[in-house]
Amino acid sequence: MTDRDDLDMLAAEYVLGTLDAEERTRVAQRRQDDATLNDLIEAWEARLAPLGDEIQEVAPGPDLLKRIEQRIDDLEAERAAAAGSDEHVPPRDNVYQLQRRLRFWQWGTCLATAAALVLAVLLLAPLQTQQPPKPFVAVFQQNDQQPAFMVSVELPSRDLHVQAVAAEPLPDKSYQMWIKEDSLGPKPRSVGVLNDDLSLAANALSEYSPELLKRATFGISVEPPGGSPTGQPTGPAIHGYLYPATRNL
Amino acid sequence: MHHASDPASDPAAGTSTGPDAMPGAITREQLEELLQGVADQDRQAFARLYEATAAKLYGAVLRILKHEQRTDDVVQEVYVTIWQKAEQYDALKASPITWMVTIARNRAIDELRRRPTARHEPADILDQTASDTPSARERLEGEEDAQRLYACLEELEGRRQDMVRLAYLEGWSRADLAERFEQPVNTVKTWLHRALKQLKGCLAS
Repeated sequence: MTDRDDLDMLAAEYVLGTLDAEERTRVAQRRQDDATLNDLIEAWEARLAPLGDEIQEVAPGPDLLKRIEQRIDDLEAERAAAAGSDEHVPPRDNVYQLQRRLRFWQWGTCLATAAALVLAVLLLAPLQTQQPPKPFVAVFQQNDQQPAFMVSVELPSRDLHVQAVAAEPLPDKSYQMWIKEDSLGPKPRSVGVLNDDLSLAANALSEYSPELLKRATFGISVEPPGGSPTGQPTGPAIHGYLYPATRNL
Repeated sequence: MHHASDPASDPAAGTSTGPDAMPGAITREQLEELLQGVADQDRQAFARLYEATAAKLYGAVLRILKHEQRTDDVVQEVYVTIWQKAEQYDALKASPITWMVTIARNRAIDELRRRPTARHEPADILDQTASDTPSARERLEGEEDAQRLYACLEELEGRRQDMVRLAYLEGWSRADLAERFEQPVNTVKTWLHRALKQLKGCLAS
């Protein structure tokens, strides 16, 4: 049996659902960075999809939609809070911006796949001038369960702090952080290659103005050792959601 | 949902509007439009998408978790995910309902693996699973794809067919299957791999 066969069976069992919790988590994480595995998973999803036709419909309780909508409202309010609490900006505008900014980050074929290419977004919101500087925080999420990185930026000092949460150093790979903002041109610009301990120099953003940082989006991608050979993200990247700075930091 | 016809042998069933057809008969194109609306943060589109698909997704999750409250929780998170990720939907890769069912199944199985439910009742479930085969299919995918898959499943040895179905529809793990089929887990893994390879080969032929 070749490695490719093994990988295909891993993908097949992941889709079939027979793996245990630990294996499922590993596969779900690995597919973010492993396009081959991700493709194999999607191929199995397509093969087995007609089995879903056997699922009998069961109407949920009448309140479930309301619960879901409430949950979405709460999440959006959290994101809006993370993006700063300008009362004149309804939460949805921020989320909408976030979505639009995510689109910017599509390159190659990646974002087409739900999981494969993802890029983190850090939306820096207007500072509340009357308050002491607060960090703005983004969670770079590897899958739906676990944050991979948390990134915070203090304004106006522009001090950057990258903290690995679930992300681990990858053998023969480097993580690289990127910034993108309209005034920097259409392409992402490298902020720096993360150190072996997955940290990044605090002054890595010092060349950018706070105003620019507020508008910029950020991403972390997986690259060959030492960083992207092309100056542009080449590997799968990690996706982030806004996170209220007031809550967990 | 009791229906005697076997879609695999009755091509006309593919276009029937009988009890097995999607309620409201929403088309793939309509679902794609709704998903596009959701990607643009349109709450009305989201509510319509929910109305059109919730019973299917709820059915998928409930069948795996067999517990209403946990199903409510999982389905809630599934729709939040759909709201957040609608823009990543790729029509070239899957139909909207398949994309959504995939999210729902993944969440349900993750939840089941984290907190397994009480032992299944193997005999009942197997009966139900087996008898559902021809009747409850709703042809969400192309009828041709479904017929091919079912023809290929038919070629599998009986127990292996059951394993594939129990795993996909009921969320059974290797260990669950090992117990039900009174085989060591490694044997079950081998059987599953053979079944899956055979299916893949058959579908590719």
